[in-house]
Amino acid sequence: MEIIEILLKSIIIGGLVGFGVGAGAARMFHTPKVQGMGAFRTLGELNACAGDSVSHFSFGLGFFFNAWASAVGAGAFTQDVDHRIIPNWAASFLLRKGKKPEDTLHNPKKMAIMGAIVGVIVVGFLNTTSSAIPESMQAIAVKVLVPAANLLINPIMPVIFWLAALDAGKRSGMWGTVLGGAAHLVMGNAVPGIVLGILIGKGVDDSGWNKLTKTLLTAVVILFVLSGFFRGFDINMIKGFYLDVPNWLAGLHKIFGLEVK
Amino acid sequence: MEKPRLVQTEQPLNNEIDIYKTFWYADWSFPIFVALLSAGIFSGTHMYYVYHIGAFNDVAVVAMLEAGIQGGGYGAAAAFGASFLFARILEGSLVGILDIGGALQTGLGIGVPALMLSAGFTAPITNFPLALLTGAVLGLIIGYIIIAIKKFTVGQVDSTFGADIMMGAGNASGRFLGPLIVISACSASIPVGIGSIIGAALFYVWKKPVAGGAILGAMIFGAIFPIPGGLE
Repeated sequence: MEIIEILLKSIIIGGLVGFGVGAGAARMFHTPKVQGMGAFRTLGELNACAGDSVSHFSFGLGFFFNAWASAVGAGAFTQDVDHRIIPNWAASFLLRKGKKPEDTLHNPKKMAIMGAIVGVIVVGFLNTTSSAIPESMQAIAVKVLVPAANLLINPIMPVIFWLAALDAGKRSGMWGTVLGGAAHLVMGNAVPGIVLGILIGKGVDDSGWNKLTKTLLTAVVILFVLSGFFRGFDINMIKGFYLDVPNWLAGLHKIFGLEVK
Repeated sequence: MEKPRLVQTEQPLNNEIDIYKTFWYADWSFPIFVALLSAGIFSGTHMYYVYHIGAFNDVAVVAMLEAGIQGGGYGAAAAFGASFLFARILEGSLVGILDIGGALQTGLGIGVPALMLSAGFTAPITNFPLALLTGAVLGLIIGYIIIAIKKFTVGQVDSTFGADIMMGAGNASGRFLGPLIVISACSASIPVGIGSIIGAALFYVWKKPVAGGAILGAMIFGAIFPIPGGLE
């Protein structure tokens, strides 16, 4: 019974995702006039297959097996279902019998419809086959995966992102360090801060302190202030310096449901 | 006499301009495409939450959400996803291509559900129709924000805001997962560890991602020799 429920849901999900991915991929060929949706690497890879139906299919197939292993093992499709499998297979089916990419791959309508069909099949297949895996085996995957993921989240990813920011130039390195450190204090993980630091550093490197980069910095400051407030970071910081929490601040926190001792 | 000639000369010109104003190419329809895709991706996370299958993301990112579901706190997944969503919305409107991986699969598919779950707001993730609706509405909002920023900053900015650097760092951290899974499996139990070593080695030789082999190997050995005391 459950498998039918899963199949029906998968058909709906696959159709929706495939439709969006297909249309978005075709629209990428018309940027900057048209807003596309996909990824630069997807665009590059679609071009690399040079409108050859078989190349598109085998490129997608390689990633399909990865996605299948990952779906069975951990319930995760990999990002390649949207980035590579659906766009390339949709292109492959549209391009058969030597049709030209200009009339098929670059046409959002045709790609959306074919993408939806491919999406239904791929998502339906991946979900029904991985739901057939016994629950005890899935539990082992979780048992092994969660500690590994925790290590990845902290400290490996912060370190890698941090080093990338340091290597990306003085501004990114400085902003990445300051915001990364602050993010670890406030949010418990440095990655979001470092990402925002790279964003600001590189934005200013490329286009200077204009309206957009200033807006960005303001948004980041607001994000940190709000996040700090709702996590009670301000209170902990004041206490950390052995100071007294002002009554108005304690009162403000009380309004939002945080009792200050 | 005059009229047909006028129509003839104007028609090709009109077609040329109008193609970018039709549904399939226009800016106004972009949010609709984002909404449909977002509805699917968000419901994919519903599938993961309910059946433990079908999340539209890499193992490393899904594992962050899983760490939260297992009671380890949603902070990392929420912050990671939300910052990606933020960065990619900005980048997407500036460069003309919205990155599905960062904005929708990680941001909307992992970050937003993590935020909701950490706030105890589980209905949009446990209920399928509600998941579809939530994803669609959020996708529509994201689409409109992108079109609005695009209109607002047109021709002003030619920076990618270091997206290439972040992408490089993201890919580099993904590579760490394979060895980490083997290490984690070896600490779980000896048979599970041996299974993951064999799986990782075979996948490496077959030029497949080591992480996938390590998980499958651990699962197969773990099914034959259960981890003592651990699993129900």
